[in-house]
Amino acid sequence: MIATAGSQRRWRRIFLVVGAIVAAYALLAPLSSLDAAQSAGIPLLTDKFWFRIATYVVMFVVLATAWNIIGGITGYAAFGNVAFFGIGAYTTGMLIAKAKWPFLVALPLAPVLAALFAALVGLPLLRLRGHYFAVASLGVGVAVGELVQNIDYNGQPVFGGASGLFLPIYAVGHRGLFFFYLMCGAAAVAIAVTWWVLRSRFGYGLIAIRENEDAAAVIGVNTTAYKVAAFALAAALTGLAGGIFSQWNVFINQDNTFPIEYNVQMILMALLGGTGTVFGPAAGALLLQLLIQFLGGSLPISLDIPFVSSEARPIIAQVILGLLLIVVVVFVPRGAIDFFGGRTRLSLAYLRRSLRETSL
Amino acid sequence: MSAAVSPQLELRGVTKRFGGVAAVDGVSFEVAKGDIVGIIGPNGAGKTTLLNCISGTQRLDRGDIRLNGSSIAGISPHRVAKLGIGRTFQIVKPFGSMTVRENAAIGALFGSAQARRGVAGAFALADEVLELVGLRAKADHPVSALTIPDRKRLEVARAVATRPQLLLLDEVMAGLNNVEVDDALDMVRAVHATGVTVLLIEHVMRVIVGVCRRAIVLDFGHVLAQGEPEVVLRDERVIQAYLGERYAKRLKS
Repeated sequence: MIATAGSQRRWRRIFLVVGAIVAAYALLAPLSSLDAAQSAGIPLLTDKFWFRIATYVVMFVVLATAWNIIGGITGYAAFGNVAFFGIGAYTTGMLIAKAKWPFLVALPLAPVLAALFAALVGLPLLRLRGHYFAVASLGVGVAVGELVQNIDYNGQPVFGGASGLFLPIYAVGHRGLFFFYLMCGAAAVAIAVTWWVLRSRFGYGLIAIRENEDAAAVIGVNTTAYKVAAFALAAALTGLAGGIFSQWNVFINQDNTFPIEYNVQMILMALLGGTGTVFGPAAGALLLQLLIQFLGGSLPISLDIPFVSSEARPIIAQVILGLLLIVVVVFVPRGAIDFFGGRTRLSLAYLRRSLRETSL
Repeated sequence: MSAAVSPQLELRGVTKRFGGVAAVDGVSFEVAKGDIVGIIGPNGAGKTTLLNCISGTQRLDRGDIRLNGSSIAGISPHRVAKLGIGRTFQIVKPFGSMTVRENAAIGALFGSAQARRGVAGAFALADEVLELVGLRAKADHPVSALTIPDRKRLEVARAVATRPQLLLLDEVMAGLNNVEVDDALDMVRAVHATGVTVLLIEHVMRVIVGVCRRAIVLDFGHVLAQGEPEVVLRDERVIQAYLGERYAKRLKS
């Protein structure tokens, strides 16, 4: 027992040190692209093109970490969280483009509106359990996107319609850097919130609901209120990412703020990294988003896939993601984080044990 | 019956129907504070449905349930728990991914107004309760490593950790062998000795006679008899309900 505890502590230390080095590099390398750094003779550590990819990666850290609160900790498989991303994006977008609000004043309203919407639809939806909830939430995700594109008033589209919404470019030096760090800030908030939840009475209540909702109710957990609060919290963080995205991307429409594939991706990331944990979804987002970019041919290092033209690569990427989802769910049900606690090692025996666990 | 002291729990004409079938039909009884009462009855007599109505898991169709004089009929389970009624499930429902201690601590973290609210305080209370039910040595075990009798103990521990004034136990002895039943009886006595009123459902006569001061016999949703266990179990109608008419006649002659 003592030896196991010791090796577990050692593994955790190694994991934290490696994580800290990666995080420090990712956060500091972009600074080398500043003019001041250039003139001081600091070598360019990263390409400006990377900011865009890096910002996407961090955006998915926020989305996967937020999904984990309702899907991982509370155990309600929400398949429509992209609705909150879109609502956040359109809240900020409309306030900036139509009401001429400054970005930093408009941004806080994105999480607020997303959370309010989640609470409203959550009250009826969260009465459903299991796959009924999953399907209903997917419906919400699709419906909100369609509504936003098709609501007209006096013959004019209210939210820009099919042609989308253009925002004025945010006047800030080093825009790429600014939005990268802003997204990192949102990711830090999402991770900090998760850390707090998992140590609080609130979090224990959510876990109790996940493990057995009837038992949770009879020991005094107000299950309806807790589920709605978890859903709204996840929505707020997702909406925050959407709000940042709208000003960063300058142009928003149904396709880029309500993409159905985001629903699958954020869930896959959380599953891959480890649901119900603080850093699992973030690690999963990092791994998977880099894989998506790699398969899509956006990374400087890329692999020629035989018999596949470069146009077909994004499709092949989707196919590979689908296969990965199946493999992860069946063979690594608790996520890759399982291998970093020092308790288990990736081995044939582990995969066989998982298969027995996940199949009847 | 002492009219001066109002009962802690009072059921009046409680009725619960499933379609055309009345699982519980006009059940009335009282439980005094500090008492330990057993409800027995054959399969399908409505014992668990009755418990579900008291704990708010199921809504009653007619009648009233009062706790210390005020009605709790039809309110949601978490509010019933806050008012101080704890319960266990016949088919145990542990929080599977957690340790034994964490299971008990969640009970302490929520539960009645008397439960401790801080996370640290809840874990301290959890250890006390695990000691009481005899699971202290297994506090750090995952639930999946527990035997069936231990899972039943954990079910009781989690309910006791909510600091209830009234504890409803749904067949905590079902499926246990004779030695395990004796251990479980000791556990129920220990919990009762802390000042908790106990209302327990049982199939096993030995349990009712062993710990209960009063027994209530249910049959087809009705109260068939109630009173001291030894007296009730000799009641002809009770023997008939349990063993059938023929056997009851043979017993008499």
